[in-house]
Amino acid sequence: MSAERALELAALQRDLGEAGYIAERSLVAALLLMQDLGRPLLLEGDAGVGKTEVAKVLATVRHTRLIRLQCYEGLDAHAAMYEWNYQRQLLAIKLLEHDERGIAQKEQDIFSERYLLKRPLLEAIGCDEPPVLLIDEVDRADEAFEAYLLELLSDFQLSIPELGTVHAVSRPLVVITSNGTRELSDALRRRCLYQYIDYPDYDKELAIVRKKAPQAATVLAQQIVAFVQGVRRMELQKKPGIAETLDWTAALLRLGISVIDIDGAERIMETLSALIKTRDDRAAFPREAVARLAAAC
Amino acid sequence: MTPPGAPSAPPPQGGRRQWTVEAGSTAAAWQSATVLDTASGRLAGFPGFLRANGFAVGGGDAVQVLQTAQRVGMLDPHILRWSLQALLCGRCDEWLRFPELFDAWFLPANRWQRPECRDADDGALSGNWPNGPAGEHERTDDSEEIRPRQAASRQEVLTSNDFRALAEREHALDIEALMRRFARQLKHIRLRREARARHGRRLDLPATIRRSVASGGTPFHLAWKDRRRVRPRLVLLIDVSRSMVLYSFFYLRLARALSAELTDVHSFIFHTRVTAVSQVLHDPDPWRAQERLHLIAQGWAGGTRIGDSLAQFNREHAPRIVHSRTAVIIMSDGYDTGDPARLSDALAQLRRRARRLVWLNPLSNRPGYAPVCQGMQAAMPHLDLLAPGADLASITAVLPKLIEALA
Repeated sequence: MSAERALELAALQRDLGEAGYIAERSLVAALLLMQDLGRPLLLEGDAGVGKTEVAKVLATVRHTRLIRLQCYEGLDAHAAMYEWNYQRQLLAIKLLEHDERGIAQKEQDIFSERYLLKRPLLEAIGCDEPPVLLIDEVDRADEAFEAYLLELLSDFQLSIPELGTVHAVSRPLVVITSNGTRELSDALRRRCLYQYIDYPDYDKELAIVRKKAPQAATVLAQQIVAFVQGVRRMELQKKPGIAETLDWTAALLRLGISVIDIDGAERIMETLSALIKTRDDRAAFPREAVARLAAAC
Repeated sequence: MTPPGAPSAPPPQGGRRQWTVEAGSTAAAWQSATVLDTASGRLAGFPGFLRANGFAVGGGDAVQVLQTAQRVGMLDPHILRWSLQALLCGRCDEWLRFPELFDAWFLPANRWQRPECRDADDGALSGNWPNGPAGEHERTDDSEEIRPRQAASRQEVLTSNDFRALAEREHALDIEALMRRFARQLKHIRLRREARARHGRRLDLPATIRRSVASGGTPFHLAWKDRRRVRPRLVLLIDVSRSMVLYSFFYLRLARALSAELTDVHSFIFHTRVTAVSQVLHDPDPWRAQERLHLIAQGWAGGTRIGDSLAQFNREHAPRIVHSRTAVIIMSDGYDTGDPARLSDALAQLRRRARRLVWLNPLSNRPGYAPVCQGMQAAMPHLDLLAPGADLASITAVLPKLIEALA
């Protein structure tokens, strides 16, 4: 069994790699387990470590749809689950005024699925093929919404008073991401598998850069990664994530910089806007600091 | 930390049977029935071991663990570990502690004995605080160099006297009542974002139309939108250095009462560095909360470096916790042995992140008090409010101003 599992794990890791995502084996193990147990996967970690990407690439690997619910402050059940199309319903009422049918029948007509606007959550449980449901940045939504979510995640069913309960046709693969700006409830955590994603180490980040920016020469890629790792070790307000590394790589390539060294510190300064995102952090990067980091590459 | 030899909870019958069949098919000769029994017993006991180490795992998890193990197999310890890690962890600190605990529970004795010894060296800070001990010892030594004579006795005082007061009944009801009032008043702070409301400023069109369905399309009953009311998040930074010895436990009790009342309160204590105490204060059992504070307090020294502490807070906690709706309340007397410039910088940075910055100073309602000490001088330009708060009466008096500042 273990041997089979190891093969399965290696296969999924390879598939993810082909789809452009370098995954640690612990994450792959969690993804497999998530399918086995039918539980959602809660991903936590700093911004820019590739949490959202996991869901996207999972959908690619599984050849299925990705349904995304972006959470924000003030998100309510109507925006996340379903809403009636009031305008159409109103028109229908006017049109049905001279209809001969009975009231009950008319009402059934007005509250039928034709007038239902499906929002991501309802859409996800209504798919024939299990889709990947990405609930992004759940910590931005408020606690009340979390409670709604719990109901969905435990039973995979939604109740619409006028229509009755909608059961999931297939169980979606649920990926939830959180940046940790708010403490999530224990109830939500208990229902999920958990994975903490840290900033990538040197080898992983190098593999990512090689994968996503193959036009960068090996030496340059190594230097870029060493430089970014050095930047992350500094005390910054906003540490650069993987997306920043890739942006910066693109910027360097665009400017035709093929090697990072002390002499080129001036030109590297020009590209730092792709890497450093706050004013205070920028102040921590005078020419000498850049030269020091470049020399260490 | 000692795992039981015998299986403590027998696994479900069906699960075990299937397992035996599966083991036979994978042709591992040594896997006799007894070994399997031991293995599943060991597995079933693992959630309990984690719970004892402060993990939020429940009784139902033993079944899940066995199911998982059945599915992923047990021969590859890595796969089993990653799978259980995903299954049983719920938050970042659990995630980071898990590998060590996993090894301690599943690896043969001679392989996990080493970390056990190291833990014993560190006295009361056992396995619960794997990253803590080394650093804390260094720091203690550090400040002992500065104040060689007083350090030991002062630590004694802090750990044996102060936190006992956390559970005392005296004043407890008054504090709770005041904090309830505070929480209730905080509720009325409004946000820019809108929500459906009974009365309001703007018409909620979808809701109005929906209601009109009942009256055949004529909108008799209007629905309104109003600004949402949401409490700000509170971050409490409590100075527990020696000069605050009279007041710090009072503030800890305030923090405890407040976090029982509101969901979004984050408490920290600081002297020469910052420690998060929200979870400890949230413990429903006051005695256990006291025990856990004792554990944290082991490394306490008497000096105050407010600037360094706040800088550390900015670095380690602020990005996660402080957002544009956060009110930061610092409770300190402002006597700082660190560099005032550093305090000023740290406060300026904090001020940019947070919505409000309030300083409660226990000394400032003394007659003739003026914020002249270096620390307060450095802090004043960045504060939204400097309020006195030595006891319940002065906090009560300052409450309206506090609410006003937080709004």
